[in-house]
Amino acid sequence: MTAAPKHSLFSSRRVLALAHNTLLELIRLKVFYFILLFALLIIGSSIFTIQFSFQNPLQVLKDVGLGAMSIFSWLLGLLCTAGLLPKDQEDRTLYTILAKPVSRFEYLLGKLSGVFLLITLAVLLMSVVFAGVLGIREQQEIAAAMQSSSPQTLALDLEAIRSAAFQANLIPGILLILLKALLCSTLTLLLSTVATSSVFTILTSVVIYLIGHVQGIAREAWLGGSETAAALKVLSAGVSLVFPDLQLFNVVDEIAVGTALPMALFWQVSGLGLFYILVYFLLAQVIFASREL
Amino acid sequence: MSTSAISIQNLSKEFHVPFRREPVRAVQNLSLEVPAGEVYGLLGPNGSGKSTTMKILLGLVSPTAGSSFIFNVNSKQVESRESVGFLPENPYFYKYLTGLETLLFFGKLCGLQGKPLQEKARHMLQTVGLSDAADRRLGGYSKGMLQRIGLAQALIGDPRLLVLDEPTAGVDPAGSHEIRDLILQFKSQGITVLLCSHMLNQVQQICDRIGVMNHGKLVAEGRLDDLISAPNQTELVLENASPSLIEAFGRLATDSGARLLDQRKPHADLERFFLKITQPKPEAPSTPGRTS
Repeated sequence: MTAAPKHSLFSSRRVLALAHNTLLELIRLKVFYFILLFALLIIGSSIFTIQFSFQNPLQVLKDVGLGAMSIFSWLLGLLCTAGLLPKDQEDRTLYTILAKPVSRFEYLLGKLSGVFLLITLAVLLMSVVFAGVLGIREQQEIAAAMQSSSPQTLALDLEAIRSAAFQANLIPGILLILLKALLCSTLTLLLSTVATSSVFTILTSVVIYLIGHVQGIAREAWLGGSETAAALKVLSAGVSLVFPDLQLFNVVDEIAVGTALPMALFWQVSGLGLFYILVYFLLAQVIFASREL
Repeated sequence: MSTSAISIQNLSKEFHVPFRREPVRAVQNLSLEVPAGEVYGLLGPNGSGKSTTMKILLGLVSPTAGSSFIFNVNSKQVESRESVGFLPENPYFYKYLTGLETLLFFGKLCGLQGKPLQEKARHMLQTVGLSDAADRRLGGYSKGMLQRIGLAQALIGDPRLLVLDEPTAGVDPAGSHEIRDLILQFKSQGITVLLCSHMLNQVQQICDRIGVMNHGKLVAEGRLDDLISAPNQTELVLENASPSLIEAFGRLATDSGARLLDQRKPHADLERFFLKITQPKPEAPSTPGRTS
């Protein structure tokens, strides 16, 4: 009788190989043209604020930049994740991979890690573009202030410009934008394990994204006073627990006006985001493991 | 005692179809053994249950009843795939990868890394005759080249069992001939091969044993000679035989209680004829000092 071959139940090398391949696939699909769009938007906004804005132009630029970063990273994650499993199954590459000593858990983790790497890289690139444009704009504002401000107000004006430019307090906000995109792409992966088409996955994911932004209302109904009907309370509880409150990740407005994000809130929101990522991924694994391919 | 590369016991698989009370029985109480080192052909018409059986063996589908083992490891366990190389029908690999990158990727999944992986990948490309196309993306590969890179990825982890689903489907006769030779080469290296194919002529040439499935059941199984030879008949092929000699043969047969059933000119195999007229002829050795 032949001895059973030695096999490790989990191999980080296999997961890394799958993650690297997924990242390569997405990069070669030229998804980074997305970033080009972002750059154009930011540069366009910068020019626009010079000519038309009546508010502090740097604040407007931060508002637009962070908002666009949030939308672009979410869209990138959604579109890249929705097609991962259906495409591999349609092309039968899934069969070839799973016919190797690769568990379904490793496959799913590798695929998701590849998308996570891509989103992280995209947010990093967008941050660099954002910081670059903001920096150029800051220098322009300083030069203008040097010419137009009186000696009495110059110091105050310069201080106001510098506090509205790119500062370290933006980083936690950008990290939350990244976490929100990762959370939404994990949710999309979960949906794609049950869906039969990418279109269904994308549409459902968009609907959940919208629900996630109004989830706070459902939570208030759940935790509200006794006047709320019992059936409505159960429904609100379900919505509050199943869907994450994505509004919690929207700290763009506060950061844009220069308000520093309290670190306690940052850690709470991060913890919640990571918890949902873990739960959604484990659910996806349970469904994918029992799926007939 | 010979080791079984594949052992399938009372395997059944039912698929539940929406809006249908009765499930579809894809495989019904299938049992078969494939000893190590054998080339086994699994035949059957479309929908006979071959692909489902293969998917169960590879852990892609779970059986409703029964069990299957690969080298004594239950095929439900991922570790059973340590011993398997699989080439699916009409394989589509990642088009954005080159031939070499494809093998490096699948090699990593088999636990290979570093220099040994690089060497193994290059060796596999050489084995399947794709060294020149190593750095070309798979998007530009022909059907035959895709089948060959598919074979190479199936072999990269040094499997003891190769599962090949229609390995020559859509490949021209020359490519098909090369793949057949490769399978025979694997057999000589002691690799067990489970071959699913509709190319009956090819199955006949390379398989030691075959099993025929129909409606999810194994309806015939055995050695090819036992299944298709007519035990009470003998074929003679004569060269330069005159009509009188053939007539004498007929009389002799009748006198000894036998019967001459047929006499005909033997035809060359069509594939051999095709290859003879399409394959490049070996060049004649050049004569020293002669210029053209």
